[in-house]
Amino acid sequence: MTYLEYSVKTTPSGWRKILYLNWPLVVLLSAVAGVGFLMLYSVAGGSFSPWAEPQMKRYLLGLTAMFVVALVPIWFWRSMALAIYGLAFFLLILVEFFGAVGMGAQRWIDIGFMRLQPSEVMKIAMVVLLAAYYDWLPLAKTSRPLWVILPVLIIVAPTMLVLTQPDLGTAILLLTAGGLMMFLAGVHWLYFASVIAAGAGGIWLVFQSRGTEWQLLKDYQFRRIDTFLDPSTDPLGAGYHITQAKIAMGSGGWTGKGFMQGTQSRLNFLPEKHTDFIFNTLAEEFGFVGGVSLLLLYVLILVFCVFAALQNRDRFSSLLTLGIGLTFFLFFAVNMSMVMGLAPVVGVPLPLVSYGGSAMLVLMIAFGLVQSAHIHRPR
Amino acid sequence: MIRTPLRPLARVLDARQKGENPDAIERENLRIRHEQMRDRMRLRAEGRLLVLAIMFFGAFSVIGARMGMLSASEPTEPRAAATGASIIASRADITDRQGRVLATNMSTHSLYAHPQQIYRKEQAVAALTEIFPDLDGEALLKRFKDPKRKFMWIRKKLSPEQMQAVHDIGEPGLLFGPREMRLYPNGALAAHVLGGASFGREGVHSAEVIGTAGIEKYFDEELRDPAREGAPLQLSIDLSVQAASERVLDAGMKLMNAKGAASVLMDVHTGEVISIASLPDFDPNDRPRPPTQGSPSDSPLFNRAVQGVYELGSTFKIFAAAQAMELGLVGPQTVIDTAPPFKVGGHRIGEFNNHNYGPISVEKIIVKSSNRGTGKMALAIGTQRQQDFLKSLGFFEATPLEIVEAQGGAPLLPKRWTDLSSVTISYGHGLSTSPLHLAAGYAAIANGGRVVRPTLLKQDGPQHGPRVLSEASAAASRTMLRKVVTEGTASFGEVPGYHVGGKTGTADKPKERGGGYYSDKTITTFAAIFPAHDPKYVLIVTLDEPVETSGTKPRRTAGWTAVPVAAEMIGRIAPLLGLRPQHDRGQLERIIETSQ
Repeated sequence: MTYLEYSVKTTPSGWRKILYLNWPLVVLLSAVAGVGFLMLYSVAGGSFSPWAEPQMKRYLLGLTAMFVVALVPIWFWRSMALAIYGLAFFLLILVEFFGAVGMGAQRWIDIGFMRLQPSEVMKIAMVVLLAAYYDWLPLAKTSRPLWVILPVLIIVAPTMLVLTQPDLGTAILLLTAGGLMMFLAGVHWLYFASVIAAGAGGIWLVFQSRGTEWQLLKDYQFRRIDTFLDPSTDPLGAGYHITQAKIAMGSGGWTGKGFMQGTQSRLNFLPEKHTDFIFNTLAEEFGFVGGVSLLLLYVLILVFCVFAALQNRDRFSSLLTLGIGLTFFLFFAVNMSMVMGLAPVVGVPLPLVSYGGSAMLVLMIAFGLVQSAHIHRPR
Repeated sequence: MIRTPLRPLARVLDARQKGENPDAIERENLRIRHEQMRDRMRLRAEGRLLVLAIMFFGAFSVIGARMGMLSASEPTEPRAAATGASIIASRADITDRQGRVLATNMSTHSLYAHPQQIYRKEQAVAALTEIFPDLDGEALLKRFKDPKRKFMWIRKKLSPEQMQAVHDIGEPGLLFGPREMRLYPNGALAAHVLGGASFGREGVHSAEVIGTAGIEKYFDEELRDPAREGAPLQLSIDLSVQAASERVLDAGMKLMNAKGAASVLMDVHTGEVISIASLPDFDPNDRPRPPTQGSPSDSPLFNRAVQGVYELGSTFKIFAAAQAMELGLVGPQTVIDTAPPFKVGGHRIGEFNNHNYGPISVEKIIVKSSNRGTGKMALAIGTQRQQDFLKSLGFFEATPLEIVEAQGGAPLLPKRWTDLSSVTISYGHGLSTSPLHLAAGYAAIANGGRVVRPTLLKQDGPQHGPRVLSEASAAASRTMLRKVVTEGTASFGEVPGYHVGGKTGTADKPKERGGGYYSDKTITTFAAIFPAHDPKYVLIVTLDEPVETSGTKPRRTAGWTAVPVAAEMIGRIAPLLGLRPQHDRGQLERIIETSQ
């Protein structure tokens, strides 16, 4: 019996729960998704097909899923944490297995009405399990080595599976989100400092070895790293995406070319214009003003998550809310740096805006969890 | 960590004394401890959140700033130069002595394909073979359909028309890469000097241009040196003189039915090569491949003026005469008996057409071109002194001309330099040299006795080397050369207004596989200096296997073949060189009369 369960009587029940939803968050999510519909309509050349319409349907489905998840008490989800993680892990292995058979369709599982990407599910499942783990773990044990290794395993195992798909972007997201969860939970900062130092030292060593006798990587691997880190060395080859994306943003200027006037995206110069690079379409058509507006929407969502977490006196709910907000933040931070040439292109979609089924659905379910934590918070 | 006990003994005892339940104390303490723990946790969590918040803020700021930067940036299409610069800085131009362009660069495009992006492969191949008829359509289609092939070259250079035609096919998988190519705007002019260039390392966005022959290869590093900043390489060649020489030489070669010809025009004071030609020639824009069969010396790529070493015949006689005079052995009027027999080392030395000139002066020996007379002078000079003299004139080594082919023009010397060698070499047999060697040798006589070094680079002023002849001997030699034209074998060499001196040379061609000489194949040479009283230029014209057929019998001597060609050439180029014609008084009066 935790503190949370004492307070059940004070939490709303039945349909009254709807009144206690975090409505501003719902509005913000809808606004971001609305921007997505607008852009998908635009890149299709002013048409609802092939992208805008399915995206809207998925959003509605996601919204419904969010409400359903929100109405289920948060302690149910906490007790399900390990099961959810186990399911996601199983799906990841399954996808590995089917990927070997099914001709390179390694990231997907077809579940009839849509294709599910287990790595997307894993992002949320991992956050839920870590939140539950640190809720269960006595505070004093948080920084003991044995109890640090367990969550590290929880993070690293699915990361490895995702990396072999290969999906570098998702792997980085998983690793970072997991690490930040541990940081928030209060694991001693020396762990993080040493991991970061070791990582930086390793990278430094690899680059130092270049051109010497004990070179750790082959020459072509170094060259690949070079173009990966700085695509501008090959503007028509590996850097093509990013070059075109930058042109799109530059030609958008401060106020943009106007809705449906973006030539870069509509004339197919811009690759992945409806998925990873959709932000450039927005920047081209609505300019800096449009881009910053979207950024503000994201910031607001994050701020609402942080405040909901601070309000919540239950450790699981608070960690979960922060974790989901974090994952969300990482999504769009990585995507935006990527499309603006700040980071290498790793293939991370812009949350809620990019065209894509499972990412949208999983994210909405995750916000359902945030809502549930909000509704069922101890009062 | 010091823990405060939950049941402090003192208080428990105290409570028991008072009859209270001591459990309340424990509950109270437990509550306080929990609250303290919660507070600590809260504090730590809030600290962590603050760190995170700062990170978020940082990330948002960076993203926002980047967005602003990109929005403010001018959108520019990616330029190939970004990568091209890493391969080449533009190759420097080559110009003639007056700054007219001989070699420059032109932007063009290459054509390559990403076969996987070609959608209608059959149609694309059909269209391509129509544009480039020499493409093998079937092989191309096979390569297009190879699923493993991601990239292939189709053409290295495209004309703008071809590029447009390929563009009009409309296949996204056919792509153009900009590249710079070497252009020789004058076509075959000075082809052997320039040599040619081709692509070295090739990339999609640019390609390295490297010199493959001639001066392009000799100065390859310098021409590509970015520190040059495109400063052109200025040659000693004069474009208009070169053009006129080539024109005349080509016409002369055809007129005389020769299979090859070469000419060298050199400034006698500076050693600058003003024009140098070798026929047949080629277009360096489309340099042919080296021949795989036949004699390489018959290929258009072969530079007869520099690489070709021939026995240049009687043109050598003047060196023997000049040295004999220099050593004080003879004077111009010393009489030498040229009557047969004259045997050296068991060999009988003959004359052209078995003439017998009798006792004649040294001057007449040169004018009549007497082998025996020259041979006797050579014996008087002696083998060692003859070798030293010829060596000092540069006849023992390849010429130092600034083209890579020059190294291939090493003279052929006798293995053992006997008396017989001395005699035959004095009249130009037994020592094979290039026409350029001969030009350098004549330049020394023409400039008053000092050696010059042949060069293709423009010089600032006279570049005299060590003295090999006295002014007097050189002047006497020049007088003899002048008389060869006015009263000797080179009578066709007279050019009205320009006083030409020179010496003819006719040598039978040696058989390729050894075993003597052809009786009906000759190499004819005319070595000319002009103006004869104060020579500024030396001109060598050499014809390979010429036959002059205007008479009843075919004539193969230099006087009938090389001399008229050289005379025609001097008549054309002397005005271009800025030489004024000097007419005899009688002619001059007539001109004045007619003009009145």
